[in-house]
Amino acid sequence: MVIDRRHLAIFYAALGLFLSENLLAQNDTVRLETVIVKGFAPEKFMSGLKIQKIDSTTLSQFRFQNIGELLSYHTPIAFKNYGPGQLSTASFRGTSANHTAVLWNGLNINSPTLGQTDFSTIPVAGFDQLSIQYGSAASIVGTDAVGGSILLNSVSQPNGIFAFAAGQLDSFLNNYGQTGARYGTGLTKNWDFSGKTTINYSSMINQFQRRARKGYSFLPSETFQQGLVQDLFFTSKDNQEISAHIWLTKNKMTVVPDDSQNRELTRTEAYRSMVRYQIKNLAFRTSWVRDVIDYAKGDYANLDHAFTDKFSNRAEKDFTFDFGLSEGNVQVKAGAEMTHYRTHVSGYEKSLITETRGDLFMLTRLLANARWLVSANLRQALITKYNPPFTPSLGTEYQLIQNLRYRLKIRGSYARSYRVPTLNERYWKDLGNPDIRPESAWNKEIGFEQRYTSGTTSVFTSSVTAYHNRVKDWTYWNPSRNYHVENLQEVLARGIEVQAGWHGNEGLWNWGADLGYAYNRSSQEKVYDAYSADVIGKQLVFVPIHTMNFNAFLQYKSTRLSSQVQSGSKRFSTFDNSQFLNGYTLTNILIENTVTWDKTKMRIQGQVNNIGNTFYLSVRNYAMPGRSFAVNVIVSYNAPSKGPKYLL
Amino acid sequence: MKMKKQLTRLVLVSLSIFAFACNQSDPAPKGDYVRGVFVINEGNFSQNNGAISFFSREMTNAADDLFKTVNGADFQGGAQGYTVIGDEGFILVDNDKGSDRLEIVNSNTFEKIATIVSPEIENPREIVGSSNKAYISCWGTNADYSYQTGYIAVVDVSTNKVIKKINIGAGPENLVYHNGKLLVGTYSFGGGNTLTIINTATDEIEKTVTLNGVPSPIGVDANGKLWVAASNQAVRMNAETYAVEAVLPIGSDGSKSAENFVFSSDRKNIFFVLSYYNSAGLKAGETYKFDVGATQINLATPLIKRAFTGLAVDPLQSLIYAGVTPNYGQAGYAVRYRTDGSVVDSIKVGVAPTGFFFK
Repeated sequence: MVIDRRHLAIFYAALGLFLSENLLAQNDTVRLETVIVKGFAPEKFMSGLKIQKIDSTTLSQFRFQNIGELLSYHTPIAFKNYGPGQLSTASFRGTSANHTAVLWNGLNINSPTLGQTDFSTIPVAGFDQLSIQYGSAASIVGTDAVGGSILLNSVSQPNGIFAFAAGQLDSFLNNYGQTGARYGTGLTKNWDFSGKTTINYSSMINQFQRRARKGYSFLPSETFQQGLVQDLFFTSKDNQEISAHIWLTKNKMTVVPDDSQNRELTRTEAYRSMVRYQIKNLAFRTSWVRDVIDYAKGDYANLDHAFTDKFSNRAEKDFTFDFGLSEGNVQVKAGAEMTHYRTHVSGYEKSLITETRGDLFMLTRLLANARWLVSANLRQALITKYNPPFTPSLGTEYQLIQNLRYRLKIRGSYARSYRVPTLNERYWKDLGNPDIRPESAWNKEIGFEQRYTSGTTSVFTSSVTAYHNRVKDWTYWNPSRNYHVENLQEVLARGIEVQAGWHGNEGLWNWGADLGYAYNRSSQEKVYDAYSADVIGKQLVFVPIHTMNFNAFLQYKSTRLSSQVQSGSKRFSTFDNSQFLNGYTLTNILIENTVTWDKTKMRIQGQVNNIGNTFYLSVRNYAMPGRSFAVNVIVSYNAPSKGPKYLL
Repeated sequence: MKMKKQLTRLVLVSLSIFAFACNQSDPAPKGDYVRGVFVINEGNFSQNNGAISFFSREMTNAADDLFKTVNGADFQGGAQGYTVIGDEGFILVDNDKGSDRLEIVNSNTFEKIATIVSPEIENPREIVGSSNKAYISCWGTNADYSYQTGYIAVVDVSTNKVIKKINIGAGPENLVYHNGKLLVGTYSFGGGNTLTIINTATDEIEKTVTLNGVPSPIGVDANGKLWVAASNQAVRMNAETYAVEAVLPIGSDGSKSAENFVFSSDRKNIFFVLSYYNSAGLKAGETYKFDVGATQINLATPLIKRAFTGLAVDPLQSLIYAGVTPNYGQAGYAVRYRTDGSVVDSIKVGVAPTGFFFK
């Protein structure tokens, strides 16, 4: 099918992108230099769902920050942020902090006690790849994947040695440092070895020049972080791979540190370890994660200590069937996962709680022909005392137009998702509820994706997605019952996400621009007491209805100018929407230059954060910082392997 | 019903006009908040979203955060108390991270005049005024919640400075100022049974009286008798000698707590709330009334079959104003009742309305 420019423009207008003809006209002979990111295993079965990959350049730009900051500039995920370096939880597609699954190499690393991740404790420096999967994928990844999933992965490294050291200092006297190496070599004729070792630290003391902005005081706080990543891969030529992964993060956050009566310490430590073994179509994974949270107020002599150990084993096998189809095939992944928890939390009814959870799953991917892909997935979770709902999903993708320059794809999904109650919800003394039911949701979505290649060096992409997600038995720490937890609410989240991107290069010039807009309407639908009438139909707290992101860069040789913009409409702070925090837009400008001497490179980057000096408030009603400056330097040494060489 | 409501409104409007007319002889103060009802909304502690809301008596909708509306920023804490001395309004602010303060505003315009910050004012609880001083009960730092660091902060209204702190253990709470004396009660978790009497001429403790319960002074009635609640008892005392004259038990159910004691406008009756947590964990209870001449408190017939988080009587119109807090995550209501317990109307206010101030 041939599509001319006029038709294309009509199509964009129909999508509401209001693209100017001018923009399309500019790049006849441009071709994108794509960043190659390897696929994730679960992604293969996620057809019909929207997946966004974050490129390595962006990961590098945010290398000193936490993952919440990256996601707030690149996705419509809304963060409930208590202040710089403080608690930051996600609302993905209008859901609560408990409805985003965070997976590290396929393992859910949400805190088992809280059922959520504090994104301020996850440094971007801790992983190699980042993907964001929108919408329900519980049939594939399990519990929590109601609003979406954040996928963090480690990958094997090429042969050779790459070593780096990096540091950053900013206006608030916060400083950051990282160093490490990636290495790879042939071991024997049949086996390769590679790995990565990095350490990182941050010291955020937040020395703001003033006590207040526009009549609102800052909340003094300091955060110290340390992290270690160790990955080892042994890969054979006959499709065997053994890998071992360790990821340690320590986060020590103190609010009002100089006030010995009111200071509040939260120390969060995570020890994550994993061994994977894959032989052909059979894969095993075993992991142990320990989460520790220590908390104290005023007097630090008696820390409120909580730890949870999570032991997990997983086995899965892939099958492929041709069924005699001319061009298609069927792939099936069947597997089981068993997880055992041991937890000690001082607020629980018993000092040690243990629980075992099992999961059985079968994922199916039918490639009907070159244009049509279907995936059908089934999962059943099994848990001590009760079982979450049987979780099926059906997704499909169809290439409506597929030619050399232009591709248009329609995709859709209908999926159930669930959330297993957290350990806090089940076992917290008095307020917890041992009879609490798992939440259950049905998510429907449909989307279009298109990609237009103009000439040879420019690519235009865009997508639009509409979704509708109804969550039943939504658990609620009911403020009318002294915060006793109940399956009280029913939440309907629906919205539209639009993305458009343009990337190209010409001669020594490189450029790119990505725009995202999302409409997220998420409301409580069920009456449960006399005053809940004031809450029915109201937007969920701290979920902006409109969000926008814009990221652009322009590069000449090795000098690059980038801008990052995030914008969100007002965030309601009470359930009846009677109070709200104003919407705001934040813009950062980054300029960097890389100098190369033989195998050594040095990148110097300057940042102006919040260049517009926008005033905005944290969820506790304290001022957030205004304009600030940062400078960072990365020195790296890269010696790729010159050819086959065996260590043993 | 509707007609009744309209009639009430008409009466309210004419009453306010009358009140306004009476006031014409004074040089009329200028401002948007000269006459009306100020609601003290405690807010949700961890969100620092307390506020003072306002409505004029004839209205049924409230302006939701006066301080923010007028001054551009809210006061970043819970509102614990509000009173007016002269033309100055004093707001007690309790911040979640210890950044407590006293905001002083022009009471007619709500424009900010001064701020007194922690450690001058720490965990403020209640405020009353004499002619030239404000008295604020504070728990102090109270870091270990033992309620041993409390004091009364004395603020000189002419300089807006704390001029003295009078130490009071066991968590000073409710205050009553009467005739040159400040009566200081304590907080139930503070565990003290001592009513402290401070002479406001010297700002020294003049006397302490031990009662059989946690004392909470109510005030002096139409007969010149002092009333103090002591846990679930109403105690009548001689207002000069502080000798106990009568002890009226309020039921015998220890799981219920009597609170929010307030006089009717003629000071011949006392209203109070008796509340408890029901089997579903919800706060429930009733509101009662007794005559200051009564020899016992009858709990058989409640005045209003509801519990409230705040209770006050408008001296101008004698209506009862009751604060309803559905929970700390949504706006509460001010419900108006006649003194016979019949409801007039309700007005949506801020989060957790716990007190009212009438001008």
